Amino acid sequence: MIEVEGLTKYYGASPAIRNLSFRIEKGEIVGFLGPNAAGKTTTMRILTGFFPATSGTAQVAGFDVAEAPIEVKRRVGYLPESVPLYTEMLVSRFLSYVAEIKGVSRANRKREVGRVLERCGLDTVRDRIIGHLSKGYRQRVGLAQALIGDPPVLILDEPTVGLDPKQIIEIRQTIKDLANDHTVLLSTHILPEVAMVCRRVLIIHRGRIVAEDSMDRLTGASDTIEIEAEGPVETVLTAIRSVTGSLQVECTGQGQYKTHGAADAATRRQLSEALVSAGCGISLLRPVGRTLEDVFVEATSGQEDAA
Amino acid sequence: MKNAWPVFRREFTSYFVTPMGYVVVGVFAAIMGMGFTLQFVMYSWQSQAPSAYGLTAVPDFEEQMLAPFMIFCGFLIMFLGPLVTGRLLAEERHHGTMELLLTHPLRDGEIIFGKYLAALGMLAVMMSLLAVPSLMLIHFTDVEPAVLGMGALAVFLMGAAFLSWGLFISAMANNQVTAGVLTFGLWFVFFILGKIGDGMPEKIATPSAWPTAVAHSVLFLYGILRGLVRELPLDAHAAHMAQGVVEPRDIAYYLLFTAFFLFLTFRAFESRRWRG
Repeated sequence: MIEVEGLTKYYGASPAIRNLSFRIEKGEIVGFLGPNAAGKTTTMRILTGFFPATSGTAQVAGFDVAEAPIEVKRRVGYLPESVPLYTEMLVSRFLSYVAEIKGVSRANRKREVGRVLERCGLDTVRDRIIGHLSKGYRQRVGLAQALIGDPPVLILDEPTVGLDPKQIIEIRQTIKDLANDHTVLLSTHILPEVAMVCRRVLIIHRGRIVAEDSMDRLTGASDTIEIEAEGPVETVLTAIRSVTGSLQVECTGQGQYKTHGAADAATRRQLSEALVSAGCGISLLRPVGRTLEDVFVEATSGQEDAA
Repeated sequence: MKNAWPVFRREFTSYFVTPMGYVVVGVFAAIMGMGFTLQFVMYSWQSQAPSAYGLTAVPDFEEQMLAPFMIFCGFLIMFLGPLVTGRLLAEERHHGTMELLLTHPLRDGEIIFGKYLAALGMLAVMMSLLAVPSLMLIHFTDVEPAVLGMGALAVFLMGAAFLSWGLFISAMANNQVTAGVLTFGLWFVFFILGKIGDGMPEKIATPSAWPTAVAHSVLFLYGILRGLVRELPLDAHAAHMAQGVVEPRDIAYYLLFTAFFLFLTFRAFESRRWRG
């Protein structure tokens, strides 16, 4: 649905993104991660036709962004980061205007606006002036205008920024609900959000993609075991070390330990046997999955020289 | 081009959702009314006792009353025009809504024509107020309606040309105040140059010591300069039309002026986008 090949964008002499390539299949919901100024917004703006790339190509819904911008724009719903809106308009008027521009026929316009108002929880403010709405509601109006016309591709630039926790949960649910019949590219720097909403992750750093995989595979592989055991520290450490010499052990607190090196079932069983036979009561022993944070920090650090 | 219509409607409506539209139309109505009254009273005094004003005969109505009033209205529109055009594209940029405009399925032409039509709509609202003095004149004087019509056309063409100039500036500016000030300021510079140009003699004397070729080229350049400063101000071609004299070249002047600045607006709009 989205195909990006060698995309590069320079602002003056400094590159914002460099030789970016990725694919997003139909129906996927992909998290676009990166520290500030990594090039997320720049990439999204190129995909939505806001400005052209310096070089490289991007195809959205089968159309080239540079060659058939109108066709692309008809098929993309875009929520810009700053959520720009015509603040003097009524919510329903604004959405009706967007519907007209997006080619929703006059007969269907009212129904389409009603559908989107309901989906975004805007029913109660449909006749309010946008400028008088709270930040959370404006964010929803921004999402609503992206959903008008039911475009197959949605590009959402930090859709939950500045919302309160309840609103964040609501917006996430809305996005999740969309996932089945839409292709969604969602940027954020809130990591748990990606873990909750997305099935695949693209991590971008200094204008390059530094990691790209499904959530499961990025965070699945783990070699750490968390242990809580009673008894003298030295006894516990000796018992753990006795299992396998390659295991690294650290004491992380009162009766709490962490091992690195292996976390498979056999290792865990051996560990528990060794601890029990050393007379240390075990209250916890479990493998710890890598969090997305670990992956993110790993992917976005140590790149200083590459610049 | 069908999406120019919603762009126009949104823009035109927003003039009257904010105070801007009412301020512009209200100020136009008030000053236009005062101008008309003063001009009319002055003319009636002069025509009743020409000798008291140093005149030998009753002054010509079209020349002394109608044309100055119409041109006055044209100037009024040029004073208020920056308020109408300044925000058109500059405000979209200022508020970030340009990002919506450019990522919705709209062509540049639809955006620019939609915006220009909205400005013309404001001009039409102002022009419609001219119906009041016009009907009074038709009722109380024996002026030809066709002459009034030509006068109104002159005002409209002048206004339309000015608005295209304002739109062009708005395409380059980042906020409406900058756009408005530049629109008015640069126009005013041309206006003053035009007044200077009116005082420039047709030929200037060159020192006889100069070689003929140099003298000729200096004269040639002088001729172009004089022509430009006399022709560029927007009121230069309105005087005859406002008296009811139709000259195709006057009408062509305004239409070309408008087309030229709409074209430049396209270019400016495009280039802002490519430069990111």
